[in-house]
Parts: sequence; structure tokens; C-alpha cells
Amino acid sequence: MTSISVDHVSKTFGKVVAVDDLSFEAPAGAVTAFLGPNGAGKTTTLRVLLGLVTPTAGEATIGGAPYRELGRPLEHVGAVLESSGFHPGLTAATHLEAVRTAAGLAAARVGEVLDQVGLAGAAHRRTGGFSLGMRQRLALATALLGEPSALVLDEPANGLDPVGMRWLRGFLRAYAHDGNTVLISTHVLSEVERIADHVVIVSAGRLRWSGPPTAGSGLEDLYLEVAG
Amino acid sequence: MNRLVRAELIKARASRATIALGAVAPVFCASWVVLQVIVPAASDADRVANVYNMAQQAYVFTMILGILGMAGEFRHRTITWSFLVTPRRGPVLAAKLIAYGLAGLVIAVLSAAATLVAGLVLLPANGHPALTSGVPAVLAGAVLSTTLYAPLGVALAVLVGSRVVAVVLAALLFMYGDGLLAWLAPEVFRWLPTGAARALGGMRAEGGALLPAWGGGLLFAGYVAVTALAARLLTLRRDVT
Ligand SMILES: Nc1ncnc2c1ncn2[C@@H]1O[C@H](COP(=O)(O)OP(=O)(O)OP(=O)(O)O)[C@@H](O)[C@H]1O
Ligand SMILES: [Mg+2]
Repeated sequence: MTSISVDHVSKTFGKVVAVDDLSFEAPAGAVTAFLGPNGAGKTTTLRVLLGLVTPTAGEATIGGAPYRELGRPLEHVGAVLESSGFHPGLTAATHLEAVRTAAGLAAARVGEVLDQVGLAGAAHRRTGGFSLGMRQRLALATALLGEPSALVLDEPANGLDPVGMRWLRGFLRAYAHDGNTVLISTHVLSEVERIADHVVIVSAGRLRWSGPPTAGSGLEDLYLEVAG
Repeated sequence: MNRLVRAELIKARASRATIALGAVAPVFCASWVVLQVIVPAASDADRVANVYNMAQQAYVFTMILGILGMAGEFRHRTITWSFLVTPRRGPVLAAKLIAYGLAGLVIAVLSAAATLVAGLVLLPANGHPALTSGVPAVLAGAVLSTTLYAPLGVALAVLVGSRVVAVVLAALLFMYGDGLLAWLAPEVFRWLPTGAARALGGMRAEGGALLPAWGGGLLFAGYVAVTALAARLLTLRRDVT
């Protein structure tokens, strides 16, 4: 089981403290929502987790190992990051084919993930002409290429249309139900209430609250109380 | 490793910049041949050497190819995918250097072929001998030096980070700066990257003599290796945000 663990992670950029001694767990078989105001340090934490940013202190692990030590990482973790991009001159299919080749995955995966995210019709269009939602779908397709057992998603619903939102919600629920791990950062609290099993709220780089989404008082009130 | 090189080649081949640079470089070299055929030369041997030397002019294109191939990854934020697939960054950079070395080789060979054809047609047409025994070495050296400029471009782009700055810097360093130094201090020029690369391509300098081709080749390869090493140290440490 691939649970995600963030253990006393700190990260400073010059004088900016982006993440400050942050610890939390995202267990397998659950959707963990990662919430916090703009600039709270969510993206930085996820980048530390994925080995893209070196933490100033602490460690983040996936299934017990730091990302940089996973063999064939795409087969363990799929990631959608806030600002990962695509070469505008490449088609969606070529982008996926390049990632698939580098990761040593089966050729059939490209068509499968394009179908899965509903992008098959645009497979041979250059990504330079893609809409925001189409890019988001392509990023999701890339994350799914290796059939990972954990997904790390930074605002993946950004730009998705209602059909896309519903698909993503259903997909993540079923995916977690199968024993996989989802760590998702988002600002859409109504979505969180519908799919999250765990909520982690950070503000100014520090943990403010973690637990199941509260019944009763409502997530928004809780969020405003602890993060505001 | 092999997988990573193949992935880089897929991206390079699909990019319009690669195709455009590969198409323009041979035409550019052949145009320089036209000029070298008609300008005065000290001797027939000199003229023939100058003509086939133009195969080296493709270096601008392979260097820009390397710069665009690497800087594009930063600009379009695709480097994130590369590092997600391969968190150990050394192999990612090595694959880039090798893939663009191969792409550069293709452009270098096409350019040398265009230069050769242009020379074989235009030299006799203007009443000059078409070939000398030194020509194969000149063309081979030109192919090697032109090829090496592609990984040099990749490494430069890593060090500089920005596409525009890298292209401007490369132009200043390798097209004008070295030329100016060659003029100001001819005896230093042979030790500079451009002097070394020209020597590899069999060029005879007007001022101070260049190194022998093999010496120039080794020196230029050394410059490329040092730049690549610096790039590797930097990529390994830099945060990707
Ligand atoms: N490369 C960087 N250089 C300097 N500061 C940075 C860098 N990356 C992030 N920061 C700073 O770190 C802090 C946390 O940023 P981060 O992107 O992690 O926030 P976030 O929680 O993802 O915000 P949002 O909800 O707006 O996406 C911010 O103050 C940001 O300005
Ligand atoms: Mg963010």
C-alpha cells in the first residue's frame, strides 16, 4: 500500500518561509484533500514530495521511500502539478508517447489514457491550441500513464467543465476505493466535501488542522476558522 | 538510458524548429560556397579548402538547435515531466546531450553533403579544380565540429536558463566575440573554443596559425565536456518550481 507521508518538512526560498515544519499523512485507500490559502505552501509541499524541490529540512516519502529513490516512479505515483506544461508544437499523442518511451511503459497506454480522460478526439492536435481544461485533461492522462497506485494532484479541477468534474470525482472515488492513494490540493470546498476522506489544512506553511471532513458545522466554516 | 535518448529524439523530431534548422543549414552552407568560389584566393588549393570549409558554417544552426531543445524544456515547463519520469537528473541531461548530438550529426552530414555538391558543381563551372586530397579531412572535421556544437548548445541553455539570453550569449561568444579576439590577439585565438573548432574543421587562419586538426578537436571536445559538466552540477541542484 502506497501511503504518503510528509515528515517535518520545511522549505525556505531566500527569506520566504514557504513550508514550516509540516507533517501529515495521506493514507492508502483514501482521498486526502490538501487545503489552504494562496501562498500557504501547498504546491511547494507537493514539489518536495515529488523530488522536484529539495527541502530545507525534513523528508517526504511515498510508500516509505523518497520519490527520488523509487525505481520506475511513474508506476507508483502519478502527478499533476499546477504549472506543468507541454511543448506547444507537440501533439497530445506525441507528448504522451515521449513520456511513455522514457518511462518504458507499454505502447498501448497512450491510447488508453487518452480515452480515459476523454481526449482521444484531440490526440493529434498540437497542445499549443489546447484550452485550459484540455491541458488539465492531458496532464491527468500523463499522470495515469504508469497505472500508479498513488495520485498527487495540484488543483486538477482547474478549468475542467462540469462533465470533466463529474468524471474526475467519480474516478478519484473509485480509485481510492480500490485501495489507492489520492492527495489533492484544491480551493473548491464543495468538491472536497463530496470526495475527501481526510482533510489537511495549512496556512503560512504550517499545519492548522487535519482530520475527517467535519459533519455539522461544515467545511467552509472550519476552513475560515483555522486558515483565515 | 537508451529509453531516455529515444524519448528525446521523439520530441526533437516532432518539433518544427528541428525541421526548420535542418532544412536551412545545408542551404546556408551552399550559399557560402557560392561566395567562396567567386572571391579571389591565393591559390587553387586555398580556394578548394575555403570552399569545403563552408560546411562548418552549419555550426550556428546546430548550436541553436541544442539551445532551443533544452531551453524549451524550461520555458514550456516540460522539464517537470522529465524529472518526474527520471528523478535522477544526471541521466536526463546525458540523454539530452546524446540526442541532440545525434540530431546535430544529421544536420552536420546534410550540410557537408550540400557543401560538397555545391563545390563539385560550382568549382569546375568556374574553371577551378573540383577537389584536392585534403577535402575528405576538411569535411569530416567540419561534420565533427558542427555536431559538437549541438551538445554545447544544450549545456549552455542549462547554465543560462533562458532561451533568448542563451542565443544572444552564444552569438556573442561564438560568432562575434571570438572573431574579435582573433583579430585583436591572433595568438590567443587558437586556444579559444571557436579557434579550436575551426582547426578541427581544417580551417587555416589568416593571423596566427591554428592548432593541428586533432589538437583543435580535442580542445573543442574538452570545452564541450567542461560546459556539460557544469550544466550537470547545476541541474542536479536547482529546484524546479
Ligand atoms: N521558486 C520560488 N521562489 C521564491 N518563492 C517561492 C517560490 N516558490 C514558491 N514560493 C513562495 O512560497 C510560498 C508558498 O507558495 P506555494 O506555491 O507553495 O503556495 P500554494 O499553497 O500552492 O498557493 P496557491 O493556492 O496560490 O497555489 C509563497 O509565498 C510563494 O511566493
Ligand atoms: Mg499552488
